[in-house]
Amino acid sequence: MIEVKGLYKEFDGRPVLEDINIQFRDGECSLIIGASGSGKTVLLKNLVGLYEPDKGDILYGDRNFTRMKFGERKLFRKEMGMLFQESALFDFATVEENIMFPMDFFTDWSLEQKLDRVNFCLKRVNLENSNKLYPAQLSGGMQKRVGIARAIALNPKYLFCDEPNSGLDPTTAIVIDRLIQEITQEYKITTVVNTHDMNSVMEIGDHIGFIHKGHLLWEGSNKEIMDTDCQPLNDFVFANNLARQLKRNR
Amino acid sequence: MKGTFQTTGEYWQLMLRVFRKPEKWSVFWKQFWKESQKLIIGSLVLVFIVSVAVGGVICLQTANNLESPFIPKYYVGVMARESLVLEFCSTMIALILAGKMGSNIASEIGSMRITEQIDAMEIMGVNSANFLILPKIVSATIFSPLLMLMSFLIGLAGGGVLIALTGIITLAQYIEGLQYAFNQWYIFYSMIKMAVFCFLITSISSYYGYYAKGGSLGVGKSSTQAIVVSSMLILIFDLILTKLLL
Repeated sequence: MIEVKGLYKEFDGRPVLEDINIQFRDGECSLIIGASGSGKTVLLKNLVGLYEPDKGDILYGDRNFTRMKFGERKLFRKEMGMLFQESALFDFATVEENIMFPMDFFTDWSLEQKLDRVNFCLKRVNLENSNKLYPAQLSGGMQKRVGIARAIALNPKYLFCDEPNSGLDPTTAIVIDRLIQEITQEYKITTVVNTHDMNSVMEIGDHIGFIHKGHLLWEGSNKEIMDTDCQPLNDFVFANNLARQLKRNR
Repeated sequence: MKGTFQTTGEYWQLMLRVFRKPEKWSVFWKQFWKESQKLIIGSLVLVFIVSVAVGGVICLQTANNLESPFIPKYYVGVMARESLVLEFCSTMIALILAGKMGSNIASEIGSMRITEQIDAMEIMGVNSANFLILPKIVSATIFSPLLMLMSFLIGLAGGGVLIALTGIITLAQYIEGLQYAFNQWYIFYSMIKMAVFCFLITSISSYYGYYAKGGSLGVGKSSTQAIVVSSMLILIFDLILTKLLL
């Protein structure tokens, strides 16, 4: 479980996140939703240690991530996997080398063992036989799947996804969402997904946190979100006429 | 002034992260050879062409300007040798490499920064500065003196070819000049200068790439800054090293 306690973060004196308290449970896909600029990416970057919180703590189980020393945190990072908004695959490496990258650094496996693991991960994301392709030769959806394969290469306990559906068509987006959910349940990973895609909310939102102007305004599931009386959340979820009409007809 | 101090501080902080023991030597050596191929082997053609041309031009200009009957003709060879070894093959080649290597390194690392590839490495627990920058610095610093040596030999050969083609002096006079009052230390001095210059080029360009921000415009800006700052520091260190070593 990941627990965020009283998280506060500011940039140049301007608060971006204030008093965030939230828990992300094991084996569950937790979604952080909110409008652009609400602070959800900053929250995710604090969770993975790309930003340091100004106040508050982030606990992974009983380990306090914010208080970890450099070496301790470095070791701990092996338990994390992350899928980036633009996939962040290494341009200089093939699909196979991308997935093998963390193995090269953190395992003593033989080349055969590494290749077995690469093929296993690629099979898991339905991308067999794409080992020798370069990221530039892949479609957006394929890049995301390779990103997921790389993120799970070392069997992480925690998976973070920053807007995994951005730039994808709705069908491919749902494929990616389901893949993330399946992997989460299959390997009992604690998954945190940053999104503003309502399809994802409906598809995989077991647990949702809504961030508005740097504050956590609402928590619940995708079933509860339909009946919420939180006005900013309603404005966000039912932003278009069709969605508002559907809500009225419920 | 604050900006200069901040940049210098950030540069040294980055260098502290770069100069750590590689996490896996096998990964480091793989990157080292890759970078050597890209930075050094990839510069051979450019260095070859420039050296041949400059060697020839130095001989031609020196011969045209030595009109006094009291100056022996073989002085063309002496002048070509001294010009090439003292300044051209280290400083001028380094300035050319600052453009080629510098923009290559800054744009490569800068693109990785803005597309979050560096963040991806950090999240994996990889020291991205060490993985990306150390092989570049080490390979350029080790192999660049050889590049200088090659440039020197090719420059002399270029001068010889021009002399043979134009007949401004005889080839025997030219070779006599090359051998006249030869100081071996100049070769080592030039190799040391080249190693220092290439260290500056690779580390400064890596710094600007590593801290690039602001999308593709930011990458372009960081490449330009890398070339400008590297070139300026090459000239400053040229003065310092000349004062110290000669």
